[in-house]
Amino acid sequence: MTTSYTALKPLRPTLYRLAQDGCSLDFIYVQCSACGGLTFPANAPGCMHCGDPLEGATQLVRPGRGTLLEYVTIHVPMVPGMPVPCIAGDIRFAEGVIEEGVIAVSDESSLQLGMELKAVATPGPSSEVYTCQFVPATMKESQ
Amino acid sequence: MSNWIDGNEGVYVAGIGLHPYQFPNDTPYTHLGLTAVRAALSDAGVGWSQVQSAYVGTTSIGMAAGRVMFRHLGSTGLAVTQVENASASGSFAFRQACLEVSNGVSDVVLAMGVDKHGDGRRAANKDGLERLSDTANIPAVKFGLLAKKYLRERNSDVTSMAKVAVKNHGNAALNPYAQFRKPRTLEQVLASPKVVGDLTVQQCCPRGDGAAAVLLVSGRALQRLGLDPKRCIRVRASIASSERDETTYGEGTVELVRSSAHAACEQAGINATELDLVELHDAFSVEELLYSEAIGVCQMGEGAAFLERGDSQIGGRCAINASGGLIGMGHPLGPTGIGQIAEITRQLRGEALNRQHPNARWGLAHMIGLGSVAIAHVLSI
Repeated sequence: MTTSYTALKPLRPTLYRLAQDGCSLDFIYVQCSACGGLTFPANAPGCMHCGDPLEGATQLVRPGRGTLLEYVTIHVPMVPGMPVPCIAGDIRFAEGVIEEGVIAVSDESSLQLGMELKAVATPGPSSEVYTCQFVPATMKESQ
Repeated sequence: MSNWIDGNEGVYVAGIGLHPYQFPNDTPYTHLGLTAVRAALSDAGVGWSQVQSAYVGTTSIGMAAGRVMFRHLGSTGLAVTQVENASASGSFAFRQACLEVSNGVSDVVLAMGVDKHGDGRRAANKDGLERLSDTANIPAVKFGLLAKKYLRERNSDVTSMAKVAVKNHGNAALNPYAQFRKPRTLEQVLASPKVVGDLTVQQCCPRGDGAAAVLLVSGRALQRLGLDPKRCIRVRASIASSERDETTYGEGTVELVRSSAHAACEQAGINATELDLVELHDAFSVEELLYSEAIGVCQMGEGAAFLERGDSQIGGRCAINASGGLIGMGHPLGPTGIGQIAEITRQLRGEALNRQHPNARWGLAHMIGLGSVAIAHVLSI
């Protein structure tokens, strides 16, 4: 069974949107005009590298891909409704941009430090939205 | 003046008091707080009317907790200030009291922490920014990730950090103010339910309620009030800082601990290896291994070996978390940092009874809080 996300909205629209393939996600950054660094999310009230107020800074849309730095299995729900076990990982998306993401693999055996991950749309908490999870970049989409 | 903490003829802890840390229940915070304050006043032999100013560290009670408590001691007109800085709230209340005394603004100042288990509301969740993961700001996940990195890089296994919990539950069993009073075996710690990665429940601090209070006096007031100088413990350093940009992934918090602890030892004029006692933020077992290295009581990479050799036990080279730490004594947030000061004071006085670390002269209280912030105090006889 395949899922079409094109009619759905992103759960967190300031962070990502559906890529042209209808499954992968693009991330929305802002580039600082003072230092050139990327800030994520793009609506942050200051450059995360130099503190510039980012007035008039340019938004950039890039494929939601990054390098896996560390990962761990969460065994108990940390927030209400959180399915467990699940895997969280720290992912480097750009120089100085490291965020925690949810990794959609069944167990840790398919993960390696330094591997490339890509963001994909997955069903959200309601039928109107999709959310973001990560899979190994070499993994084929179910669609 | 070369060292601000020596102003006003020095800052001394003259009285300590606690309400036992406990699992959340319906005991009002006023009862918890007043128990600790009355005990601290009695311990110092100082009356409430002599206290000129009070700092209250708390995270979850709400606005203006101090006056609601203190009016039951008498409305003396003293200055009351509430301080919130997550896990480090009590530590920062203590620092503010030190600043007030050392600067000569006041001579007799109360620093206390009191808390009830709250809903965990955090400013980081209200900054208007979305995040990719719902657990991005949850410490258990951050330290679960850090534990994995630590064990891999040190080529250690889970037992090395589980032994932190065994030691600290053992110390807590000897502490009448601790939330947990049962020793735990390595097998029990490892067999308890997993939380994140290899961190099991018994390697994580509980949430709870409690209160702790310390009374600070200037050196001038110590003499004027006729206090027993042998029971007054001098504050030798107070350092506060917050996280810088990470230069290496995963090192941010550890670097923050390193730099703040080293600055505190420098202010006190000692090397970290001279510390006899350290109370530190072991909310998760791996933190004690990481921070014992970062503080410098052992060499980098030696944290697990330091523990394994018994060097961090009571009676070892440097007793770490003789109180039971956050894992064993508990972590009610507001009181935690004040409780560390109380424990070090008790130890340096030689009044810790069956958990007394022998010949203790120097103690470090170190806390971190969400954000991250760090704070370190050095005390000595």
